[in-house]
Amino acid sequence: MSDKPVSNKTAPGPYQPVMHRYWWLQHRYFRLYMLREATVLPLLFFIGCLLYGLYCLGQSEAQWQGWLAFMAQPWVVLLNLLAFIASLFHAKTFFELFPRVMPLAPAGFMIAGQWLATLLVAAGLIVILGGWI
Amino acid sequence: MNKSISIARYHPEQDNQPRLQAYQVQSDHSTSVLDALLQVQQQDPSLGFRWSCRMAICGSCGVMVNGIPKLGCKTFLRDYPDELTVSALAHFAVEKDLIVDMQPFLQHLNAVKPYLINSEQSAEPHRQTPAQLAKYQQFANCINCGLCYSACPQFGLNPEFLGPAAITLAQRYNLDSRDQGKAARMPQLNGKNGVWSCTFVGFCSDVCPKKVDPAAAINQGKVASAGDFIISMFKS
Repeated sequence: MSDKPVSNKTAPGPYQPVMHRYWWLQHRYFRLYMLREATVLPLLFFIGCLLYGLYCLGQSEAQWQGWLAFMAQPWVVLLNLLAFIASLFHAKTFFELFPRVMPLAPAGFMIAGQWLATLLVAAGLIVILGGWI
Repeated sequence: MNKSISIARYHPEQDNQPRLQAYQVQSDHSTSVLDALLQVQQQDPSLGFRWSCRMAICGSCGVMVNGIPKLGCKTFLRDYPDELTVSALAHFAVEKDLIVDMQPFLQHLNAVKPYLINSEQSAEPHRQTPAQLAKYQQFANCINCGLCYSACPQFGLNPEFLGPAAITLAQRYNLDSRDQGKAARMPQLNGKNGVWSCTFVGFCSDVCPKKVDPAAAINQGKVASAGDFIISMFKS
């Protein structure tokens, strides 16, 4: 029998687990999920830049030149580069997830595939068994 | 070969929270976590856990192995050369040691009416083509083990969320050509704790021992729910 600790429990009952605030740091899968969700942050910055550029274009040439100068600043370039990488990562996850949400392979194709697999296995068996007999 | 495993023990009358206890078990290439638990029970009969079929069909032996939901019978000690910690399924109340209260899960299953609803009274069997079967077959492989609920952070944060398996089963019957119960299930799926509570973390599909892909079922449910909403706009 195991050693039982001295109890200071008031009432018997099941243990209700509580979720830690940092649950998403628990393992790699959750960290990748949070990274996927966080790709929106640099993209928001990029969209803000774009909208501000459109606004400046409508105002005056000086404002437009000002926006161009703003966009050429190293930290802005760096953030936009980050947004680009984030969008590529998001696109990768999108193309992984989307076919599961909207299955494009019609059931008919899957059945044709199953028949094809059956034919191949049957042909293989005939060849193997034929050779053996 | 001797192997050390840690098991989260919880005695409902003595402990405030689970505590880890280390045991030594004999392991070879074919020793599963369930085999190891059975060995531990020989040493310490007070250890409580559920099991039945030993071949990933009954779905009883779900536990957390190093923090990841797994079926004990389908997980092998050989894949854990370093430390191995077994604890009760996450997000469920722990009754004793590795035994959790599955009641919330069963209630959620029940809520989506996971059975064929068909008012046609006919002596003839309902025929189905292979194409009609292929639409839902993958989702029909669920064994109700509850691993997806332990993998789902949304269920952990909101226990009212219908959860992966229940929504998958709802989708499975909605896609069945013999079923007429979609209208009865959609209010559950459209609701606050239905499909829209899912954020497509996708871990449920990763841990599913039967490759059911519940995350796909839920997100296909979102498409169905959006369609249902548009149709209801024209109806009213």
